[in-house]
Amino acid sequence: MNIKEFITTIPYNKVSVKDILSFERTPTNMLIAVMTLAFLAMFVVGVAIYLTHGHHAYGVTREHPWGLLIAVYIFFVVSSTGLCIVGSLGDVFGFKDYMEISKRAIFGSIVTILAGFAVIAFEIGHPVTMLIYNVISPGLTSAIWWMGTLYGIYLTFMIIEFVFLLKNDMKMARYFGLTGLLVGLAAHSNLGGVFGFLNARPISNGVFYPTYFILTAFITGIFLAYIMYGFRYKLKFGESATKMLTNLAKIQALLLSILIFFVTWKMLTDIYGGMPARSEVAIHILGSWTFWAEVILAMIIPLVIILVDMGKNVVGMFWASMSGMVGIMFMRYNLVHDTQLKPLQMLKKTEYQLAPQWIEYMPSSTEVMISLGGVGIAVFLYYVGTRLFNLDAEEHH
Amino acid sequence: MARYGMALDYKNCINCKACEVACKEENGILLGADAHRIWVGTGEIEGQYPLLDLTSNTFYPSQCQHCDDAPCEEVCPTHATYYDDNGVVRVDPDKCILCSYCMNACPYDARYVDDRTVTVDKCNFCTDTRLERGEVTTACQATCPTKVRIFGDLDDPESEISQVLRTRESRTLKSHLGTNPKLFYLL
Repeated sequence: MNIKEFITTIPYNKVSVKDILSFERTPTNMLIAVMTLAFLAMFVVGVAIYLTHGHHAYGVTREHPWGLLIAVYIFFVVSSTGLCIVGSLGDVFGFKDYMEISKRAIFGSIVTILAGFAVIAFEIGHPVTMLIYNVISPGLTSAIWWMGTLYGIYLTFMIIEFVFLLKNDMKMARYFGLTGLLVGLAAHSNLGGVFGFLNARPISNGVFYPTYFILTAFITGIFLAYIMYGFRYKLKFGESATKMLTNLAKIQALLLSILIFFVTWKMLTDIYGGMPARSEVAIHILGSWTFWAEVILAMIIPLVIILVDMGKNVVGMFWASMSGMVGIMFMRYNLVHDTQLKPLQMLKKTEYQLAPQWIEYMPSSTEVMISLGGVGIAVFLYYVGTRLFNLDAEEHH
Repeated sequence: MARYGMALDYKNCINCKACEVACKEENGILLGADAHRIWVGTGEIEGQYPLLDLTSNTFYPSQCQHCDDAPCEEVCPTHATYYDDNGVVRVDPDKCILCSYCMNACPYDARYVDDRTVTVDKCNFCTDTRLERGEVTTACQATCPTKVRIFGDLDDPESEISQVLRTRESRTLKSHLGTNPKLFYLL
């Protein structure tokens, strides 16, 4: 079978634009539709402002060169890796209870990484130069090079895996799924390495982020699994969905407990001994509301909801997952901002009227518009995907 | 090929900022990019009169340290940052994608974005200007009225910088990071 024939055998629903625009006009659906359109419009406006003003349209500065868009990019690729892990439980590792979510999760991993790429394209100053020189002049000691290149390969494998899932060719889906998962995990830990390799920034430097990223990806994937299933079944879950989601909640409780343990020890080791540029930064982080938003929304609320009845409150977990995703967004923002909190100073005392103790950063409206636009892109692509493809499990005999 | 470095007799600095001006003039640095490419840090006098701490009122001229093991070069995904034949850490604007990783990785806060090329830029020891014309001086060195800066080839045992570093104690900044800077502060 040649490639052309192969492509023609991929099952999909023939839908027109009219079909895509026709959905049940419930208040929730209308709200989501209007918000998605508004976000997409914001993306267009934000990109237009960026294209005319460059990085001056952003709140980034020489002292704080990475801003909200880097955080949003990380948010999306973490989501993608997480969905890839959740999707792999069934089709790669053969856990039958999770087979039903594989296709939906893998499709989710594709749309989230596409949204991430759409956002980062307007943060990297020269994305076209990047595509060219990444290939002809690769910086093999750069974590960014590995991260970007591996994510590109990962996306390819995810698409191929998804195609085989659509064709119900589980054997090939497993091969490509396993390879894609391994490449995705390598890419994602390299993204942690981007921060972990920063010897100049003691608060981020070290092994913590490359491993923590994988853990938080799995957590994010489970949150998104709940959200996707919540919309799919309008919070009226059937028996098999309830069983799967309850099991996922138990896994989530373990993962959140490990995360809390990790973060607690990171903070303790950061503060202990008063090491300059690390201890004081950690104490400053403890005093910031965004850190506590992350802890409460992404860790405490979901963990409590699960522990109350050992994950049986599936609807409650849907709402806790919403809270969790907001918390995860704060987590990504904190990671990026906290890394750059401490001025490097370098004796440049007269650069400032008063030498700053901390580097300030406030996202500009353009950054916020492009970020929300990324959410709009992910939701829109996912919605179109639900119309184009059958994302529910095939019956296996 | 040389291995250029700079020794700074920083206690002689009078904070006239002629080096900052000369650097801007020589390298065509945009207005507004103050204290980005080269700077003089000033320690304010600490203490209450009459118990003033005069040792705190010191001037620290600084710029890119041209590390032998530069973190900025290591993290660059496209080799836009590279070592030239003279050991000078430079940026190729054609290859720079402005990911800003080098700005975050540089422990010395020595990098900035040039608004004309929209790429990262930094001190390059006047490679494009004076060194290219065959001079072995930098603008900041040539203009300094108190001869704070000594620029030259570290591999040449007869160069002034090599002789000074043999005869006077010096230190480098943030040496614990293993960057091996080629800016030496004379004690």
